[in-house]
Amino acid sequence: MRKFSLVAFSVEHPKLIVVLSVLLTMLFATQFPKIRTDTNPKNMLPATSDVRVWNNKVEKTFALYKDVIVLGIRNEKGVLNPSTLASIQRITGRILGLKGVAARDVSSFETIDNVTSNGGTLDVGPLMPHAPKTAGGIDALKQQLFGNPLFIGRIISRDGRMAAIYVPLEKGANGRQIAGAIRKIVKEERNPGDEYYIAGDPVARDTFGAEMFKLMAVFAPIAGMIMFLVRYLMFRDIFLSIVLMMDAMMSIIWSMGLLIGLGFPIHIMSSMAPVFLMAIATDSMHIFNEFYFRYREKRDKKTAIIETMNAVSRPVRNTALATAAGFAVLMFMHIVPVRIFGGLVAFGTISLRLLSFSFIPAMFTFVKDRNLERIARSEDVDAGWTARFLKRLAGLGIRKPAATAAAGFLLFAVAVIGITKTNINNNLVEWFKKGSDIRTADTVINRSLGGTDTGYIVAAANEDGYMKSPEAMRYIEGLQKDLERLPVVGKTTSVADYVKRINYVLHGNDPRYYAVPPTEQMIGQYLFLFSMSAKPSDLDNVVDYPFKRANIWVQLKTWDARAMKDVISEVARYKAAHPTPMVFKPAGIAYFNLVWNNEVLWDMVKGFAFALIVVFAILAWDFRSLKWAVVGYMPLLFTIVLIYGVIGFSGKDFDMPISVLSTLSLGMAVDFAIHFVSRFRRRLAEENAAGGRPDKDLIAESLLWTAARPGKGIMRNAILFASAFSVMLFAPLTPYITVGAFIVSMMMLSSLLTMIYIPALVTLFSGWLFDGGRQ
Amino acid sequence: MKRFIFTLVIALLPASAFALSPGAQEIMTKSQAAFYYPGRDFKARMMMTLVSAGGQKRIRELTMLRKNFPGGNQKYFIYFFQPADVKDMTFMVYKYPDRNSDRWLYIPALNMVRRIAASDKRSSFVGSDFSYEDVSGRNVDEDTHTLVKEEKLGSKDCYVIKSVPKEADVEFGYKLSWIDKKTYLPLKEQYYDKRGQLLKVFTADEIKTVKGFPTITKRTMKNVQSGHSTQVIFEKADYNLGLPGNLFSERFLKQPPRKWIE
Repeated sequence: MRKFSLVAFSVEHPKLIVVLSVLLTMLFATQFPKIRTDTNPKNMLPATSDVRVWNNKVEKTFALYKDVIVLGIRNEKGVLNPSTLASIQRITGRILGLKGVAARDVSSFETIDNVTSNGGTLDVGPLMPHAPKTAGGIDALKQQLFGNPLFIGRIISRDGRMAAIYVPLEKGANGRQIAGAIRKIVKEERNPGDEYYIAGDPVARDTFGAEMFKLMAVFAPIAGMIMFLVRYLMFRDIFLSIVLMMDAMMSIIWSMGLLIGLGFPIHIMSSMAPVFLMAIATDSMHIFNEFYFRYREKRDKKTAIIETMNAVSRPVRNTALATAAGFAVLMFMHIVPVRIFGGLVAFGTISLRLLSFSFIPAMFTFVKDRNLERIARSEDVDAGWTARFLKRLAGLGIRKPAATAAAGFLLFAVAVIGITKTNINNNLVEWFKKGSDIRTADTVINRSLGGTDTGYIVAAANEDGYMKSPEAMRYIEGLQKDLERLPVVGKTTSVADYVKRINYVLHGNDPRYYAVPPTEQMIGQYLFLFSMSAKPSDLDNVVDYPFKRANIWVQLKTWDARAMKDVISEVARYKAAHPTPMVFKPAGIAYFNLVWNNEVLWDMVKGFAFALIVVFAILAWDFRSLKWAVVGYMPLLFTIVLIYGVIGFSGKDFDMPISVLSTLSLGMAVDFAIHFVSRFRRRLAEENAAGGRPDKDLIAESLLWTAARPGKGIMRNAILFASAFSVMLFAPLTPYITVGAFIVSMMMLSSLLTMIYIPALVTLFSGWLFDGGRQ
Repeated sequence: MKRFIFTLVIALLPASAFALSPGAQEIMTKSQAAFYYPGRDFKARMMMTLVSAGGQKRIRELTMLRKNFPGGNQKYFIYFFQPADVKDMTFMVYKYPDRNSDRWLYIPALNMVRRIAASDKRSSFVGSDFSYEDVSGRNVDEDTHTLVKEEKLGSKDCYVIKSVPKEADVEFGYKLSWIDKKTYLPLKEQYYDKRGQLLKVFTADEIKTVKGFPTITKRTMKNVQSGHSTQVIFEKADYNLGLPGNLFSERFLKQPPRKWIE
């Protein structure tokens, strides 16, 4: 009974314990100035992951940019008017001057090259060297724009109402900062009728990362304040509310200090740790809950403390163990920030428990008896509406166990049907709320242009030079046509488009020649001519140096991870129907997002399954009985199935944030069952001092007592937990709303189900559970 | 004492009536003459290697013929040997000091000559890091030149000239050139973009004297922002061969005389 001695020691030497705790906290706090942050959600996958290595290789081979910002300029009356064009020219010039922008490859009217035919002369040069001021100049530009299919849907919308500027970023540039600078530039334009939209993966990603940190800095304190307030309303004692808050704060400082001290950057995942630790800290509620009951019975502080700790130490210790284990399994996952987060919260949970057995009992000794008297008076098992409500809940399960179980089974079955309807998908842009700048910009641009999300299909042949063959060109052309039939694909671009363009121009703009030429020699010479008439990177972007590999650009109209999946399976289908020596591999940001989401998602699902097993094992070990473990497990399992059933039916995508949550919530939701079962069995053993098989009435009475007394602690815990997380429902980012809604419903459901179904199951299976007199 | 006499001699040279060193404009004019105009005519067999940021290489092998005409006019004739599929492709440039060049391209697969009106002199020459202007020279009057300093580059004394374009229609904001005081050849050039960040670096890697003309026979242009670079090696270089003026015509574009291009 080491724990017992720690409690006794703390009660005997409260000042020493408090001083020690504060000193230790200060020690960990000294690490804080070394803080480093990593706001890029992409870093969830290590730089050495296959997809990042492959994407880097593709980017290098084809001189591509990882990150591109799209600026859409829209005018209801059409952008091809002198003032909008002059404005586009000014904006382009200023964007070229921004640090972090790969100026050499910015695509805009002003910087993009065009080759046109004019009698026997080829005109080569920038599409719009100067913004035209006359009607004639505008007409000429219009002709050039709409006469080149490469431009339509890319830099100009088919209806002429939107123009786009593509801003590639240098490695390591911050998309949010550059988007901010562009926003400032366009704000100064004030051209009547012009609207501006900024989109692209780096904007969404970097904004999300930054917002997430900001939200954590705002939400953690708000959640803390709410918990403080709710606790005060529950116990009407400022001092104890502060103690509980300090308990949470200390564990947060310890674990964050350790993380920073070990040199890890604070990643998005670990930035959520404080809120989780605050929520986990609510478990000490059971100590308070019991303490007031005991104090009312004994009227002696020290005895009450020690007796309280005796009664609750086991469930408190084991719930901590279950929670810590639930998070610790994350340390065996594949994704590094997830592993760090798991270790971080597991460490925090254990620190919390350590404090529960030392700091909290020590602080109890400082409370004035008069205050305790007042609070304890309100804590009565028989009186109070809470107790009556809880007894009624438990009574439902005790009186009509079969009906309750049957109703539960029915609900369970329906929920399972819901789960089969689950939609696995992820959409980075939809992490922002409807109506937010980023989401609006994306929708508007996607409506007019080829799409803001880009994927690549890399075609690879066995021999150098193959891509110059008419056969390869025609194949790629056919594949593009096929892909463009997919509803998610807005536009595709490949080396074949360039060859066709040159063929057309060399033949005096004869539409019959907008086709792949018949000989390899022609293709080779056209490509050479193309390299003389455009930026060298234009050709590099679509074909590699030895002409062994070609890169097909696929612009997608949605950020759904599913869209790229559709493209990949369509490519496979096309290849199966049209044999070719070429092989096709996906790449690009759309592919990265697909893989990233899948990896995190499946890693989490794996972690979830693993946590389910570990939690069950802990229950079995804690109760020293498989049977009781099954009973304790039921409310948890039921809660999870219900929630996922609702998600399945609602049509909400099962996405990365939800998968992350599943794993996290497991270790926390099982707490209630542990408390209930432990306290019930302890009570039963005390009441049934004679031993032997307990009779039905005794079981029912003990169940009701458990529901009313530790049950009150469970309800308080759930409410506190839920109120802390309910703050997130007001967040501007949808994953936070999801986290909030998920945890609030999980806590409320699992506490309710614990109160209803454990009594029902115990009553129903009392014969089996108390078989041979074992409890 | 020796140094004093040397300085005195320099000071008495007519070209430097007002300063110890010639003016920046004059240095650049001399440099242009040494770099792009030596001899009556010039022929070189060039091996151009384009190296991508990823280390992939592309070869362009060509013969370049150049002939000077009165008034600073020049004509260029380029014949491509490599890449293999553009063999027999030819390219001709009439360069005028005061207006845009005329260019013609012969496309053998179509047996067709097309005039090319290129409004962008700064665009890439056959996909390399050299622009058309880098191949045939940029008009000295298009930039404002200032002498920044004089320093040694390796063992060679150089003028360092800063050139700022008068018009904003080029990709660089300014250029620094290290001009060899002896040969007036540019030994190094740094192009800075409009944000003031280094964009491209030119280096003269090997200089040989051919028929008395110091000639850069190995040069590199590296785009430090994209990581792409191009190296040009003159495998054969010769001056004053007596290239006929009528060689630079559409007729010979289609059927270049072996004698001159080999």
